[in-house]
Amino acid sequence: MYAISYDDPETLAEFAEKQGVHFPLLSDIDSKVIRQFGILNEQVTRNDALLYGIPYPGVYVTNETGTVVAKFFHDSYKKRESPEFYIDAALGRLSLDEKAPQVSGGDQDINLTIAVHGGNGTVRQGIVRHLVVRFELPEGLHIYGPPVPEGMIATQVTIQGPEGLALMSPELPATEKLTLPGVAELNVWHGTVDLTYPFYATGELASECRPLDVPSIDVKVTVRYQACTDRECLLPKTESFTLSLDLDVIDIPAIDLHKGHGQREGNYDGAPALKRLLGRKIKQNPLGLPIFLIKSLWLQMGALLRKRQQKKSQNKQ
Amino acid sequence: MVVERDHHGFDAPAPLGHPGRASLPKGHSTGPEIGERLPDFMLPSTSGASIDYHDDRAGRKSVVVFFRSAVW
Repeated sequence: MYAISYDDPETLAEFAEKQGVHFPLLSDIDSKVIRQFGILNEQVTRNDALLYGIPYPGVYVTNETGTVVAKFFHDSYKKRESPEFYIDAALGRLSLDEKAPQVSGGDQDINLTIAVHGGNGTVRQGIVRHLVVRFELPEGLHIYGPPVPEGMIATQVTIQGPEGLALMSPELPATEKLTLPGVAELNVWHGTVDLTYPFYATGELASECRPLDVPSIDVKVTVRYQACTDRECLLPKTESFTLSLDLDVIDIPAIDLHKGHGQREGNYDGAPALKRLLGRKIKQNPLGLPIFLIKSLWLQMGALLRKRQQKKSQNKQ
Repeated sequence: MVVERDHHGFDAPAPLGHPGRASLPKGHSTGPEIGERLPDFMLPSTSGASIDYHDDRAGRKSVVVFFRSAVW
């Protein structure tokens, strides 16, 4: 594992020591490699002072030859994968965490497990976890993926959580085609089937800018399915489960920008590293900092006006 | 700093439109694609010594993370 940023080696060394990071942190101080990869955030200009040179954050997983086998980039810098997904991608299989919340269902023939994968199943703003619905089907039984002919039941999973729990598109394994006499072509799964439902919390549920409202949430999962052999079907089943997931407090850097929002501050003072970063950027572009400060102030005034208008319209209601 | 919620529903201690909140635009390149070999590169590590990525990997699988900053 290698992690690259535009920070200086001293900052990265301090970060690694304080946060217990044991893999190489690499210093791309002039963003040369970030540019080489084509992922420089070009919306941040030289006049954005300390921010100039950051990448669009993302992750590549490679095989033994250094060839990319998976990559993870999102439409928001706040969305990030759980580290367990990189291991899954490297190994090419999903290993469920034993410590994360999970419940079991099914019957004597079919094992059904509902598990949360990633970060021990805790929930954070923007950090993607997986809710995995795992079927373990005995030889000869299959379940159906959509679409199914009328009268048959495709496996259906419904997830209900509190406001602010965002569900992403499910990741379903490819189905196999099954053709039976007199029946349209069927899409089936057999053996061990992992249906994966990625999710994350938005600010409404777990903001990084205010203390948590509740320590944990309940997520209700309903699974409807019908298992069949090539000759006959078992009765359709609907099973419901409730998982209790802890919300996680975010560690924020201990610098003025982040303080006072009620989240857990980093365990070391980030001000010296910030000063070094600012000094480096001012050297590269002396006018950048004053321009950036004026721009920030202007944007902040706009935000304050929006807040005031919101309050006014709320009071009217 | 004012806290504002963006269209994704995320809160951050910076106003909307602040460059620190600029995210990947739709259609923007995300660098090497699946099936491509990551380019050669060499960068200083925390000790200050340079690490040649592909040499250091020494034929093992790897995860390469680009993150915004360890400072802020």
